[in-house]
Amino acid sequence: MTRVVASGLALFVFMLLVGGATEAVAQTAPGASAASMRHFWHVFAAYAVAWLLILGWLFSVARRIGRLERRLDR
Amino acid sequence: MSLKTIRWGAGIAGVLGVGLALLFHWQVFFWVPTEASMGIVQRIFYVHVPAAWVGFFAFFIVALCSAVYLWLGEERLDIAAVSAAEGGILFTTIVLISGPLWAKLAWGTWWTWEPRLTLTLLLWFIYVGYFLVRSSSENERTGRRLAAVVGIVGALNIPLIHMSVLWFRSLHPQPVVLRTDGPSLHPDMLVTLMTALASFTLVFLAIFLVRYGAERLERELRAHDSARESGKGVPV
Repeated sequence: MTRVVASGLALFVFMLLVGGATEAVAQTAPGASAASMRHFWHVFAAYAVAWLLILGWLFSVARRIGRLERRLDR
Repeated sequence: MSLKTIRWGAGIAGVLGVGLALLFHWQVFFWVPTEASMGIVQRIFYVHVPAAWVGFFAFFIVALCSAVYLWLGEERLDIAAVSAAEGGILFTTIVLISGPLWAKLAWGTWWTWEPRLTLTLLLWFIYVGYFLVRSSSENERTGRRLAAVVGIVGALNIPLIHMSVLWFRSLHPQPVVLRTDGPSLHPDMLVTLMTALASFTLVFLAIFLVRYGAERLERELRAHDSARESGKGVPV
């Protein structure tokens, strides 16, 4: 259970790193402008939503396992 | 499959999936060439397309397990179907969110009622309906059987989604990988896409296996409790 949650948190941190990496690519691209920053936000949102949803599913499964573990302990 | 095997399988798939996710994010943001006409926003492709494929794969598992469940009545198949349906809805949601984020910059609109988009939204609603049907019936077994029918019918939509861009006039691009004359993508883009696809598939399989194991254990405990309450002894 703890390992599953820790893995989820690691994924979330990883997702934030992706955002930083995207920003770095967008800012160093030749002719970076307001339009390219807008493109960056769309890319960031797409990847962030994907990993947040996957993380949400992981957490819901982890909570279910937690409930089962407590039930088995009783 | 024993719970121990499921745990090992999920662990291996999870570690490999996250490892490949690290690799494909590096490829997407530092390695793969930027597409000439759309620029950086085309990188949404590497999350949008694999999510669609994994969603379809999950719904294929639902349809297959549902069909065999209706035939044999084996409860484990129903557990596999419901676990896959959850993942299928999740990955289709990713498709339905990442698509408009890309479309707004590529087409100038968040959404258009063209065949592929409409059929994908319909697929999402069908599998939401799958869960509604399961929970709406007073008899649990009847609910499962009715949901299995929805699970099979819903999967018939998948080939329609794939063929819609070929059969109808569509704003959505035509397939770039599954083509009769071979993939039309730049080789580096194809490698990145395949890495992303493998990563999403393994992450899906890992969570699917854990979800399957949890549901199976939960039903076994429920059967154990009801057998104890009715004083009939404990099924092993």
